Amino acid sequence: MSDAGQAVSPFMTTEKTRAGRHTESVARAVLATVTALLVLPLTAILGLLVIKGAPALSLSFLLDTPTAGMTAGGIFPTIVGTLWLVGVSLLIAAPIGVLAAIYLNEYAPENWMTRIIHLAIVNLAGVPSIVHALFGVGAFVLFLHLGTSILAASLTLAIMTLPVIIASTKEALSAVPMSFREACWVLGASRWQTIRYVVLPNSVQGILTGVILQVSRAAGETAPIMFTGAAFYLPFLPNSVHDQCMALSMHLFTLSMQVPNVPPAMPYATALVLVVLVMSVNLSSILLRSYLRARRKW
Amino acid sequence: MVSERVKIEIRDLRVRYGDRVVLDGVSLDVLEGEILAVIGPAGAGKTTLLQCINRMSDMIPGMRVEGSIKIDGEDVASMRDVASLRRRIGVVFPLPVGLPMSIYDNVAFAPRMAGIRSRAVLDELVERCLRQAALFEEVKDRLGDLGTRLSGGQQQRLTIARALSLEPEILCLDEFSIAVDPVTTMRIEEVIKQLRSTMTVVLVTNLVLQARRLGDRTALFLDGRLIEVGATETIYSRNTRDARTYQYVQGLFG
Repeated sequence: MSDAGQAVSPFMTTEKTRAGRHTESVARAVLATVTALLVLPLTAILGLLVIKGAPALSLSFLLDTPTAGMTAGGIFPTIVGTLWLVGVSLLIAAPIGVLAAIYLNEYAPENWMTRIIHLAIVNLAGVPSIVHALFGVGAFVLFLHLGTSILAASLTLAIMTLPVIIASTKEALSAVPMSFREACWVLGASRWQTIRYVVLPNSVQGILTGVILQVSRAAGETAPIMFTGAAFYLPFLPNSVHDQCMALSMHLFTLSMQVPNVPPAMPYATALVLVVLVMSVNLSSILLRSYLRARRKW
Repeated sequence: MVSERVKIEIRDLRVRYGDRVVLDGVSLDVLEGEILAVIGPAGAGKTTLLQCINRMSDMIPGMRVEGSIKIDGEDVASMRDVASLRRRIGVVFPLPVGLPMSIYDNVAFAPRMAGIRSRAVLDELVERCLRQAALFEEVKDRLGDLGTRLSGGQQQRLTIARALSLEPEILCLDEFSIAVDPVTTMRIEEVIKQLRSTMTVVLVTNLVLQARRLGDRTALFLDGRLIEVGATETIYSRNTRDARTYQYVQGLFG
C-alpha cells in the first residue's frame, strides 16, 4: 500500500480521533471517581460503626433490657418494639397499597379524577416524615383516641409508606405487556381472572421488592413514631397494639442525645444493629428479586 | 358447504375514536360457515370492525360505537355477559402473543377460565387444538415449556390453537401473517381452509392474494367505508361494481 493511500484511510489515527480518545478517558475517570466518592462514605460509616460498636456487642446486649438509667444492659425491648411497629404497619400498608394500585392500574378509567389521584400519590411520597408524624398525632392519637400506641405509630408509618408502595406496585403491574391482557380478554377471561392468573403472577417480584424496601424504610424512621407510640423507656414488653413500645431508631436518638453518662460504645452498637437489620431486609429483597427474575417468563 | 344463513349482521356501524370517524356507516352480512376476507389499506377500519364484533371496543377508552351488530339475530351491544360472547368468538392478533405460561396452559387457559377443570377433558382438548393449528407434532414432547419461548411462527400457531380452544362459532383473524415467515403462513392458511364450513371466519388481511386464496367472499374497505363486497372471483375480475375495487386489487393504488 502506498503512503498516499494510507493518508485517506478511514481507519487511521488522526488529530480528531486522538482528541476523542482523550475525552473518553477523561469521562471514564470522572465517572469512576464520582462512583468511588459515593461508596466511600458508606464504607466509612459501616467501618466506624463496627470498630466503635463491636466492643459493646454481645448476645446479652441483644437479649437484655436496658438497666441503670439506660447506661447499661441491652436493647432487647427496642428490637421487639421495632418488629411490632414494622410488622403492624406492613399488615396495614401492604394490602391497601397493593389493592389500590391494582385498581388504579387495571380498572380506573383515564380521566381528570384519576390524574388527580396520581398527582396526590406522587406528592404524598415526597412529604417529609415529620409532617406525617404530626398528621399521625392529630388523626390517630387524638382524633381517633388511639392514644400513643403501637397502633397509632404503625398507622402513621403505614400512611408514610403507602404512596411509595402504590407507586412501585403500579410500576410493576404496568411492566406486564398490554398484549397479555388483550389476549386474555378476547378469550372471555374477565378483568379479575386476567389479573389473578396473568398480571399478578408476572409482577409479583416487582411488587414484593417495592413492599420490602418500604419495610426497611419504616424500620429506620424516627419522627413518625416519636410522638405516636414509641416510648423513651418502658420496663415491660408490649402485649398488644394498644401498648406503647420502645424502638431501635428512637432508642438510638435517646442514647446519643438525651441520656447522660452512656458508655460511648452503646449508641454505636445500637446503630450497628439497626443498620444490619435494615441491610438484611434490603438484601433479602435483592435475593428475592434475582430469584424471581431467573424464573421470568417472557 | 357455505349456507345462506346470516351469522353476523352488521347495520349502519359507525365508530368514532375521539374526534376521528373510524367506521362510517358500514352494513355487511357474514354468512354462516364462510370465509369472509376483508381487505383495504391501513386505517380503513378493518381492525375496528373486528373489535366491535367481540366488543373489545368496550376496553378501548375513547371508542364510541353506534349502529348494530347481531350474531344469530342477537344484538351484541345489549348482551349482558360479554365473557360468554367472547368465548363464542376466537381472535388472532397481528403479532403472536404467547401468554407467559406453559404451552399446555396457554391452550387450556380459556377452558379453565370458563370452568373446565377435568384433566382428561383438558388433555384431549389441548391435543386437538394443537393438532388443528398444525403445531402438535413440533411441541408434543415439551408441552410444559413456556409458550413465550417458542419461535414467532410457532407462537402464532399457538395463538390459533388458543383461539380454537373453546370451539368458537366465529374466528376473527387480524393480519395473522404480518410477523410470520412464508412457510408458516402457508401452513396457517391450510389450517384456515380446513376450518371452512365448520366455523365462520372473518379474515382481515393486507395481502390481496391471501384474500383471493382463502376468501369465499371478499370485502373492500376504504377510509372507514365498505366499498364493495362480493364473491371473491368477482372482486378479482374486471367486473367489479366499483372501479376502486379493481384498482386496489390490481395494485394500482393504496
